[in-house]
Amino acid sequence: MKDDFEPTIIGFLCRWCSYAGADLAGTSRLQYPPSMLPIRVMCSSRVDPVFIITAFLRGADAVLVAGCHPGDCHYIEGNYYTRRRFACLRKIFETLGMESDRIRLSWISASEGPRFAQVVTDYTDKIKKLGPNPAKKEIFL
Amino acid sequence: MPMEEKIGVYVCECGPNIADKVDIDKVVETISSLPSVNVVERHKLLCSEDGKKFLKESIQKNELTRIVVAACSPKQHEVTFMRVCESAGINPYFFQLTNIREQCAWIIDDKEEATERTIRYIRAAIRRVLYHKALEKKEIEANPDVLVIGGGIAGISASLLLASGDRKVYLIEKTKVVGGKVREFAKLFPRMEPCSDIISQKIKEVENNKNIEVHTDSEVSEVLGFLGNFVAKVNTSENKAIEQPSEQAIKEKGLENKELELKVGAVVVATGFSMLDLQQLPQYGYGKYDNVYTALEFEKMNAEGKILLKNGKPPKQIAIIHCVGREKVGYCSRVCCMYSLKFANYIKSKLPSVKVSHLYTDLTVPGKTYQKFYEQTKEKDVEFIRAQDIEITESNGQLTINHKGTPNLKPLNTDMVILSSAITPSSDAHKLAEMLNISQGDNGFFVEEHPKLAPVSTSMEGIFITGCAQGPKNISDSIVQAQAVAGKILSSIIPGKKLELEVKTSEISEALCIGCQTCLEVCSYGAIYFDEIKRVCIVNEVLCRGCGNCVGSCPSGAASSKHFTTTQLHQEVVEALR
Ligand SMILES: Cc1cc2nc3c(=O)[nH]c(=O)nc-3n(C[C@H](O)[C@H](O)[C@H](O)COP(=O)(O)OP(=O)(O)OC[C@H]3O[C@@H](n4cnc5c(N)ncnc54)[C@H](O)[C@@H]3O)c2cc1C
Ligand code: SF4
Ligand code: SF4
Ligand code: SF4
Ligand code: FES
Repeated sequence: MKDDFEPTIIGFLCRWCSYAGADLAGTSRLQYPPSMLPIRVMCSSRVDPVFIITAFLRGADAVLVAGCHPGDCHYIEGNYYTRRRFACLRKIFETLGMESDRIRLSWISASEGPRFAQVVTDYTDKIKKLGPNPAKKEIFL
Repeated sequence: MPMEEKIGVYVCECGPNIADKVDIDKVVETISSLPSVNVVERHKLLCSEDGKKFLKESIQKNELTRIVVAACSPKQHEVTFMRVCESAGINPYFFQLTNIREQCAWIIDDKEEATERTIRYIRAAIRRVLYHKALEKKEIEANPDVLVIGGGIAGISASLLLASGDRKVYLIEKTKVVGGKVREFAKLFPRMEPCSDIISQKIKEVENNKNIEVHTDSEVSEVLGFLGNFVAKVNTSENKAIEQPSEQAIKEKGLENKELELKVGAVVVATGFSMLDLQQLPQYGYGKYDNVYTALEFEKMNAEGKILLKNGKPPKQIAIIHCVGREKVGYCSRVCCMYSLKFANYIKSKLPSVKVSHLYTDLTVPGKTYQKFYEQTKEKDVEFIRAQDIEITESNGQLTINHKGTPNLKPLNTDMVILSSAITPSSDAHKLAEMLNISQGDNGFFVEEHPKLAPVSTSMEGIFITGCAQGPKNISDSIVQAQAVAGKILSSIIPGKKLELEVKTSEISEALCIGCQTCLEVCSYGAIYFDEIKRVCIVNEVLCRGCGNCVGSCPSGAASSKHFTTTQLHQEVVEALR
């Protein structure tokens, strides 16, 4: 069953860097697994950890948050806050016994089309190995 | 779910770009079957004149209230279609563009898969657009006048270019005279041209320019406001009376010490640099031994005429030590190697027989002219010694420089030592940073908004940095930067034209805010303030850039970003996952 499992990943992409990186991957006609559903935000710092948790409850197998490289955030320091919030969230995941591999934070610049494609490809492979998000079955709202 | 809306969905083929990869018939068919959608249309090239006309007419004919376009990246045509919406009489924020080209058609080979994805994207966009709110364009009047703080070469250059663009400039200088450090220099590297020619001409130009109001012996004590609308208080004790008190000079107190109130649209910080305090590096013997000079002291001595020892005799040997304090400050000051070479040229032209030794760790001679200057200087029988761990001692008026770095070299005996020490932030930098709400880096220099994308702006819109206030640099680079600042100001504030503000700002619900001030701490733009009476935080929409960091940090859900509300994003995610 695991073989034909196609993961669904929600990708929160900051509009200045990572969303533009994803655009470049497209313009360069790079092919990568269609596993990620992009959600455009102004800055990675807009991503409230609650969004990530909701995505899981609604059936995402993984969540990727991508922003500008440290020091390159269009809003000066936004991504440093993202990084901190992400570290907290990871701790929460671990404490609750959830697989913290299902969340990932990556820095992808506007010029890194190939890197964008690579990140999505690698992450998809990884989630394929992990299998479907167990929360889909376990949690009832 | 919001009330009855009439939704139109437009799928663009982008010629063969999308049509070849996505089964558009199937997309149209599937989307048409959704209960909430009124119109679904396809078009070959939606961004063409024909396409825009088609879109506009369709919106009007069907009296639509919400629009979704499935086409290319928002970077390409979001603005294009928002304008079409506007011209069709619907609020441009009742629109959502979903990117089925760069992030779908072009990355997925399998047509069936790409078609499925397209449908999913469109569904998410439809869901999102239902929760959109109308947003109105905001405009404010902008004052085109400019306040320049610091009358060094950077401040002067910015003022002159601004004034030539017919802007009123207030140039505020702390000391009695404008010109800055450069006034003390006899000549300039690398061409060794007399400095007075350049600087005195510039000073004259500034003083004679009717658009520039120079205030010497003056300091700025307060700056409030934002791009286009700053109010600055200036304390001045200058004794030359301003012949014609300008309209702007509203308040004037007393005779000697006056306080001016200036209204300007932009502020330029050109407060220059200081030099590292050499008391912090006792190994060089500065202040302890007679003939150990700082670079600025030597510039002055040379400019005043003769190069002499304290006892009035000419020196036989002079050592110039580079990189003094580089390790301590943790950066290269960029000009010390060059002015050290300049010093060798001063010495050799006045006292050709004096032995000149440079003690350096690394030589910094970048760019298209400096290398040559170094080579020419070297030819004048000037010695270069690689040296580290320098320590200076004195006995009977003779200075001895102990050093490591080149094996088998004996300590160097000399009569005079010049210390080329690190350039540090101006002593006022901290005070100014607090007053203007701009940041200083680890090293104390003012920080640019973005090192590559916005190198002369700061995190405060309308406040710019230039010259050595931004970091150590030579005169040419200071002028380049000053002119960049003037260009930025001339192009961003145009007389008679209102400033358009960011629409997608944040807002805070008074009812939900618990007053924890987390949002205030994370905002990089000082756009949030705490209302002491209501005990809640409030967003200053003029300063807010809409990053959403405050929203991401708010524990109570009180802060929200317009057009990126929690509901909008939540609905988009949920529908994408369905
Ligand atoms: C020894 C030495 C030799 C050099 N020789 C050369 C050379 O030959 N060629 C070359 O290209 N570069 C040379 N440089 C570099 C050059 O000095 C700088 O590039 C230049 O001075 C930078 O100009 P500035 O306007 O940024 O700063 P500054 O020259 O420091 O001017 C800043 C001005 O702002 C004023 N100010 C400070 N604080 C306030 C305040 N709070 N309110 C109001 N006014 C204020 C100061 O009084 C000053 O007038 C040399 C530097 C040194 C140290
Ligand atoms: S709107 Fe975008 S997708 Fe459509 S034709 Fe123009 S460029 Fe192509
Ligand atoms: S973080 Fe939220 S609750 Fe705290 S002060 Fe800001 S808006 Fe109010
Ligand atoms: S959205 Fe960004 S700029 Fe605006 S108030 Fe919040 S943190 Fe500050
Ligand atoms: S704008 Fe890209 S992370 Fe902040």
